[in-house]
Amino acid sequence: MNVIECKDVTKNYKRKKALNSISFQIEENKITGLVGRNGAGKTTLLKIIAGYMKEDSGELQVFGESPFNNLMASANTIFIHDQMEFSPALNLKEIFEAAENFYEKWDRERSFRLLHYFSLDPKQYYKRLSKGMKSTFNMIFGLSANCTLTIFDEPTTGMDAAVRKDFYRALLKDYLDNPRTIILSSHHLNEIEDLIEDLLLIKDGKELLYMPIADLKEWAIAVIGKSNVVNEWIGNKEMIHSKDMVQDQVYVVVRNDFSKVELEKAYKAGIKFSPVSSTDLCVYLTSKTKGGIDDVFS
Amino acid sequence: MSLVNPSLIQIVKKQYVYKLRAYMDLYTRLVLSQIVAILFSLNGLGMMGARGGVFEVSVHFYSADLVVIFSILWAFITAILTTTKAIRNGDFLFVTNRVSSNLSNILFLLTASFIGAATAMMSTYLMKVIIYYFMDHHYVDTQGPMEAPLELLFGIFTTTLYLFLFCALGYLIGVLVQLYKGFIFILPAIFIGTIFLREGNTGLVTSVFKFFFMETSLPIFITKVVITSCLLFICAMGLSNRMEVNQ
Repeated sequence: MNVIECKDVTKNYKRKKALNSISFQIEENKITGLVGRNGAGKTTLLKIIAGYMKEDSGELQVFGESPFNNLMASANTIFIHDQMEFSPALNLKEIFEAAENFYEKWDRERSFRLLHYFSLDPKQYYKRLSKGMKSTFNMIFGLSANCTLTIFDEPTTGMDAAVRKDFYRALLKDYLDNPRTIILSSHHLNEIEDLIEDLLLIKDGKELLYMPIADLKEWAIAVIGKSNVVNEWIGNKEMIHSKDMVQDQVYVVVRNDFSKVELEKAYKAGIKFSPVSSTDLCVYLTSKTKGGIDDVFS
Repeated sequence: MSLVNPSLIQIVKKQYVYKLRAYMDLYTRLVLSQIVAILFSLNGLGMMGARGGVFEVSVHFYSADLVVIFSILWAFITAILTTTKAIRNGDFLFVTNRVSSNLSNILFLLTASFIGAATAMMSTYLMKVIIYYFMDHHYVDTQGPMEAPLELLFGIFTTTLYLFLFCALGYLIGVLVQLYKGFIFILPAIFIGTIFLREGNTGLVTSVFKFFFMETSLPIFITKVVITSCLLFICAMGLSNRMEVNQ
C-alpha cells in the first residue's frame, strides 16, 4: 500500500511557484531520500505532507486521506524540522511526557536512553539548548515517537560530525527494530546515500528523478576524451554536464543507455568512461547551467 | 500498517492539559499585573473627613476595581498571545488539527479567565491586610470571605464572564492580525475613530459598554456574554481553519 500519493500537486507563494505539478508515490516501510537544491521546494512538499499547508491544486493523500486538518494523519505522522519551538516552560523530560501522552506508540525507554547517550540533561530547558543540541533533541523526539510516517527535514543542521554519524546509525537501527515509512531530506546525498532505498530528486518544484538509489549509479556515465571526438560521438544526446579540461579534453556526463555498437565505436576513438558518483550526479542534474559555476567565470 | 485513530474530544482534552502546563508564564504575567494594580489601588479612591471638637474622623475609600480592570487587560492580551505564531505552531509539534487547537485554546482561556477572576476578587482581602498592617489606619472594614460567601462566588462568576468576553475579543483580533498584519494599525484606528466620531450617549463604544456593563439582570447578562463570546470564537475559528503553519 502506498503511504503517500501525490498527484500534480502545485503550491504557489506570493511571488514564486514552490511546487510545480509534482507527482510520486511513496510505499510503505521504505526510507526515501528527498534531495534538491536550496529553494527547490523540499520543505514546502514536506509541510503539505505533514498537514501544515494545503496544496493549491492537485491531490496529495497520506494514508489515503488528505492530511490537512486531519487528526488521523496528524496522529500517525511526525515532522521534524529545524524551526521546532517547544514551550519554554517545559524541560526536556516534561516535553517527553507530553509527547508520550499524544503519541500512542511513544517509546519512553528509548527516548531517555538516547537523551543520556547524547548527554542531554532531562532537567534542561529547550530554549537553553545550543543549535546542534536542539537538532539532536528534535531527532530523538522524532525517533521515539515511532510514527508510521516519520519525516526529517534536514535533521543534521548544526550537528557535529560525530553526532551526525550517530544519528544516521540510530535511524537505521531504529528502522530495523521498527520498520516504518521514513522521509529524509538533505542537501548532502553522500551522507544519506547508504541509508536510503529510494531517491526523490526535485528541481524547481518538480520531480526530476525517482528511483531506487542502487539504480542511480548505473543511470549516467562520464565520458572523457578530445572535445571534437566526444562531441561527434555523443551526437544530439542530452549532456547532463560538461566541463572543459586541459589539452582540449572534455568531461561530459550523459545518460547511460548506449548500445553495444556505440560503445565499441567509442573505444576505438579513444574515449574513456568513468562512473559518476550519485552526489555529483545530483549536483549536475539540479544545476542551472550545464557547466556549473565555471560558466560564470568564463 | 497499524494506524492510530484518535477522536477529536480525546485530543482536545490532551491539548488542554498540556496547555495548562505549557503556558505557565502567562500566569506570571497575571500575578505581576495584579500586584501593580494593587499598588496603584493603595493610593485610595478618595477620602472624606469630619472634625468636631476634639474628634477628627477621616474615611478613606479603597477599591479593587483596578485589579479587575488590569485582569481584563491581561485576559485580552493573553488571548492575543495564544494566537501568535510561536504558540499556535507549538500545537503542531504534537497531534492536532485546527479545530482541536482552537477548542483547547478556548478551554484554556476559560480556565485562565476563572483564575484571573478568582485572584482579582480575592485581592480585596490582600488589600485589606496590607492596609491593616502597613498603613496608619485605625479601623479597617474586615469583612472576610466567609461572611458573604455567595457574594464572593457571584463576583468571581461575573468577573470570569467579563474576562472571558475580552478573551473572545482578543482571540478574534489576534486571528485577524495573523491573517493580515495591517490590522495592527487598522483595528486601533477604527476603535479610536469610533470614540471620537459621533460620541456621546448614542455612540457605538458607549452603547457597547452599556450593553455589557450596565446590565442589571444576571440571566440576561449571562446570555449576552455567552452568545457574544461564542460568536466571536466561531468567527475566529472559521477564519483560522484555513491558516497554514509558517515559520
